[in-house]
Amino acid sequence: MSNTRKTLFLLVLLVLLSVLEPPAGRAQAAAATPQVLLLFDSEAKETPREGNIKELERLLAAYSIKVTVVSLDQYEPGGMAAYSHRITVINAPDVAVTNRSYLEDAGNYKGQELHVGYNPPERLKQALKLSTDIMHGGSAGLSAGRLSGASLPVQEMPYITAAEGKKDYGRLVFQSGGLQAPYAVSAGRYTYVPYLEQGNVSVLAMAGVLREWLGSTAMPQTYFVLKEIYPFSDLALLEETAERLYEAGIPFIASVRPVFSNTDYPAMLRYLEALKVVQSRNGSILLNAPVVMPSISGSDDTLGSKMSGFVDLLVKNGIAPLGIGAEIYWAYDKEYAAAGMGWFDSAVLFPDERLMHRERTNRSTAFESSLYSLPLEFLQSLRTSGKVMPAFPMDTAVTFNLPADEAGLAELLERLDGYWISFADYKQEEHRVVTDTNKVVSSRGSITLNGQHLNVDYSPRDQVSDNYQYTEEQQKSFTKLFNVQNQFFIVVIIISLLFFGGLLIIGYRMYRKKYLK
Amino acid sequence: MKVSTRMRDNPIQLPPLRQGLWPAFRGVSPAFIAAFGVLFVTVIALFTAPYLGMADNGDFFRNIYSNGIYFNLPDYDSKYFGYFVKQYGIFQYFNENGATLDSSQSLFIKLATLLNKLLFSSEVFDIRFQAAIYTCLYVIAVYLLIEAITWRMGRRQGMIVALIAVFIFGDTGYTAYFNSFYSESIVMIMMIFVFASWLLLFRKRYNDYAMLALFAVSSLILTTSKQQNAPVGIILAMLAVSLIWIRKDRVFRFLTLASIFLMMLAGVATYLNISKEFVNINQYHAMTRGVLKEAGNPETSLKAFGIDEQYAILKGNIYYEQYGTVDVDSPLLQENFYSRYGFVSILKYYVANPDQLGSILNIAAKSAFTIKPAAMGNYEESVGKAFRAQSHFFSGYSLLKQTLAPKTFGFIILWMIVVIGLYMPSTVKAVRARDIRGVQRMVLVVATMGVGLSGIFVSIIGAGDADIAKHEFLFTQSFDLVTFLTLSSVISRKLSPGTRHSAGSPTRAHSETEVQKGVSA
Repeated sequence: MSNTRKTLFLLVLLVLLSVLEPPAGRAQAAAATPQVLLLFDSEAKETPREGNIKELERLLAAYSIKVTVVSLDQYEPGGMAAYSHRITVINAPDVAVTNRSYLEDAGNYKGQELHVGYNPPERLKQALKLSTDIMHGGSAGLSAGRLSGASLPVQEMPYITAAEGKKDYGRLVFQSGGLQAPYAVSAGRYTYVPYLEQGNVSVLAMAGVLREWLGSTAMPQTYFVLKEIYPFSDLALLEETAERLYEAGIPFIASVRPVFSNTDYPAMLRYLEALKVVQSRNGSILLNAPVVMPSISGSDDTLGSKMSGFVDLLVKNGIAPLGIGAEIYWAYDKEYAAAGMGWFDSAVLFPDERLMHRERTNRSTAFESSLYSLPLEFLQSLRTSGKVMPAFPMDTAVTFNLPADEAGLAELLERLDGYWISFADYKQEEHRVVTDTNKVVSSRGSITLNGQHLNVDYSPRDQVSDNYQYTEEQQKSFTKLFNVQNQFFIVVIIISLLFFGGLLIIGYRMYRKKYLK
Repeated sequence: MKVSTRMRDNPIQLPPLRQGLWPAFRGVSPAFIAAFGVLFVTVIALFTAPYLGMADNGDFFRNIYSNGIYFNLPDYDSKYFGYFVKQYGIFQYFNENGATLDSSQSLFIKLATLLNKLLFSSEVFDIRFQAAIYTCLYVIAVYLLIEAITWRMGRRQGMIVALIAVFIFGDTGYTAYFNSFYSESIVMIMMIFVFASWLLLFRKRYNDYAMLALFAVSSLILTTSKQQNAPVGIILAMLAVSLIWIRKDRVFRFLTLASIFLMMLAGVATYLNISKEFVNINQYHAMTRGVLKEAGNPETSLKAFGIDEQYAILKGNIYYEQYGTVDVDSPLLQENFYSRYGFVSILKYYVANPDQLGSILNIAAKSAFTIKPAAMGNYEESVGKAFRAQSHFFSGYSLLKQTLAPKTFGFIILWMIVVIGLYMPSTVKAVRARDIRGVQRMVLVVATMGVGLSGIFVSIIGAGDADIAKHEFLFTQSFDLVTFLTLSSVISRKLSPGTRHSAGSPTRAHSETEVQKGVSA
C-alpha cells in the first residue's frame, strides 16, 4: 500500500515538474545542437590553403556550434566518441596520417563525417563511390546556388571526378578543357568537400554544405556592421553616416570600442552622445572587444570588471549594447570567453588579426546568436544570377570600417545601393546582455533596459561643458595664515635689503674717505 | 674560519703577517685595488650561485632574436619581470627575424655567442659568457677611471678613493645588468670609458692619441647602443671641440676633428635608425604619459598640437595595460595622432609651458636616483625566491642612494651649481693661463651633466613617465661619476691641503711631460 502511494506520489511529482518546467528554451536547444570535432593534419602555412581551418572555425561558430579543434598528431584514443559530428581536414597531399589511435577510432566512428581536402579515406570513397584527381594549375569558376565567384587560381586543387552521392553541392568549372565537377558530395553520414580556401566563394559554398550537414533550419539573415568606431573617430561623420543610412532605410550595427579610463571626461560624454544619435537612427550597438596589448605581468584579471563596467556605463547613458564583436580567437580562449564575452549571448566573430591569447583552449564557446563576418569588399568578387544578392547560407555580418571622410561615406552609400542586399535589423532578433547590475534584452525590435522599455529617440543633452575640472584642486588649509605670513616676510626682507644696502653705501663712503683721499 | 681561529690562538703571528702583506700592497696602485675589488665582487655576484641577473621586461626579444638567439624555455612568458633566465637557444637554421633594432649591443652579443660556441655549446647560449666579456671591459674601465682620478694623489687618499669606487661601481645594481640583454650594460661600460679617457687626457697620464682613440670609440659605441642615446653623441661631439686645442700638432687636431664628426654622425644616424614599433610605443607614451599627463586641460594641450580634442581620453594611458581602446600601431593613430607631433614639437610645447615641464621634471626626478629598477627580479626561478625578488648582495650604494637622495629636480640643479662652483676657480685659472688642457675637467663635468640631463629630457619627451626608472639610467650613472669625481677632489684636497695636482697647471711634474715628450709638438 505504502509502495503504491509512493509510486503515485512520484508520478504526480513528475507530472508537476514537467508542467512547471520552463518552455523549451534556448538552453535546451543548445543541448541538442551537434557537437563537432574538427581534426586537421596541418595548418598549410605558406600555401593557398593557409587559414582554411580558421575559416571552418568561423563558419561553425556561425551555426552556434561548439567545436573542439585537435591536430591529428595530438589525437588520443577515444577522442571522437563524445562527438556527433566529425570533420577531418587534410591539407598536405603527400603526408600520410600515421596516428594509429585516430585511424582505429575513425574506422569505428558512427557519427556524421565530413572530409575536407586531400586523401579521402577508403570507407568514404566506397560509401560515395568516389574517385578524385588533382588539378595542378590554371583557373576555375565556382558556383554555389545563385552565387558564383570570380575566377579562382588553381594550384594543386583536388576535385571530384566521379561520385554517386545522394546529393552534390555547387559546381566547379575548370577553364582549361571545360572540365566540370561537383564542389561537394554527400550520402548518408558521409560528406566530402575537396577544396576550401580562405577569402573566396568556396567559403560560401562550404557554408551551404555545413548548413545541411549540421541540419540547420533557421532562416539566415544578413546585417550591416560599421567597424572601427573609436571615441576619437570623427563623431560628426559618425552621426551623419547614421543619418544617411537611416534615410536609405538600411538598419545597421555599430561596433563601438570600449573605454576603460577617463570615462567622466567631456570627450567621453561627446562619444556617448554620438552613440545615442546612432541608436536613434536605427543603429544597434555592438560592443567591440578591447585591444589586447602584449602582457607584461600575465596577471591582469580586470577584463571582466572592465567589460561589465563599460556595459553599465552605456546603460546608464541610455545606450543598449546587444552583443560583442571580437576576433574568432577570443572564442578559443578561456579568459576572454568568460571574462570578456561571458556577459553576452550574441556575438559577431571577425577574422583574426593578431593573436594575443591569455589562456588558449581548443574548445570554442558558442553563442546563441552568432554572425559570420565578411568585408563589404568581398561582395565585389561575387557574381549573382539576378540583381538582388541572394541570402547567404548563414547569419552574416557584412562589415565596413567607419568612413574617414565625406567622400568615403558617399562611396559607401553608393556601394550599398548597388548590391541590392536586404539587411536585417539586429534588434529584431533576441539578444541578452547581463551584468551584475544591468540587464539589456532585445526582441522583435524592442529593447528593454532592466525591464523598462528603452525609447531610442534622441534628445540632445545640454552642450557638453568644456569647463571640466581635470585635476582636483588640492585641499588647502591655513590659507589665510600663510598669506599673512608671506606678506610679513616680504616686508621683512625688503626692509633688510634696504638696511644692508644703506650699510653698504655708508661703508663704501667711509672706505673712500679713509683710503682714497 | 680556520684561519681566524688560528690567528686568535696565536696573536704573535699577526704582526709578521701584516708586515709581510703590507710591502706587497705598497707597490699596488689604488686603481688596481679598485679594479680588483670590483672584479672580486662582480665574480661572486654573477658567477657563483645563486647567480644574479635581471628579468626580462619584454625588451630582450628585440635585442636577441636578430642576433640569432631565441627563448628556448617553453614557459618563458611566465618569467617576464619575475625571474632572471640564464640560458637561451641559438638558432640552428635561417633566422627570419631580420634586425629589428640596429645597435652596437649586437657586436657584444655576437662576440659572446662566438665564445659560447667555442667553449660551451652551439645550441644553448649561456648568458654568463656575455657577462664575462662585460665584466672584463668594466674592470678595465674602472681601472682607467681610478687611475685618472688618483693620479698624483696621496697614497692614503688614493686608497680611500679606491674603496669608495668599489662601493659605488661594484654595486650589484650596476653589475646585475651584465647578466641581461638590456643595453644598459654597454651604456655603463662605455660611459666610464668616455669619462676615464677624457679625464686621462686632462691629466695627460697616458699617450694622448691612445686616449683620443679610446674616447672616440667608446663614445661611438655609447651613442649607438640605444636610440635614447642619440643626443649623447651630439653633446659629446659639441663639447669635445675643446679637445682640438689641447695639442698643437696637426695630426692630433685632424684626428680629434674627425672623431667629433663621427660622433655627430653617429648621433644623427642613431636618431634616424629606429625601428617603427619602437617609435610608436614611445611616441604614444610621450603624449599620453607626458604632455597629457600633467596638462591642466588636456584638450587645450591637444589643440596646441593640432590634434582632435577627443584624444584627451587617452590621458595617462599606458601601452602595458593589457586591455585598451586602441592599438598603438593602428592606422587611425598613425594618421591623426602620431603625425601631428614629434620630438621637436613636444620640446617646444614644454618650453612654452614651463609649469608643466616643472611638474613632469619632478616626476622624473623621483626615479632619477634609482640604479636597479624595482620592476625586475634578480634571481633564477630555481633559487626559490619570490617573483620579482631583488638581491641585496653588495647593493649598499644603490639602496643608500635611492633612500637618501632628495628626489626633486631642484636638488639636481643645486647639485649642478655646487659641482660647477667647486671646479670654477681652477677652470678660471686655466682659462687665464690659456691652458686648454686644464679646462678639460670642467668641460668633462659639464658634458657628463649634459649627458645625464639628456637622459632625463629624452625620457620625458620621448616616452613620458613610462618606464622612467630604466630610461633614466644615463642620468643616475652620470650623477655617480660626477659626484665621485667631486668627492675624490674634496678628499684629496681636504686630507692633504698642500698637494696640488691639477693636470692643467703649468707647474706640471717633470715625469708627466716626459711621458708625452715624443708626441707633443
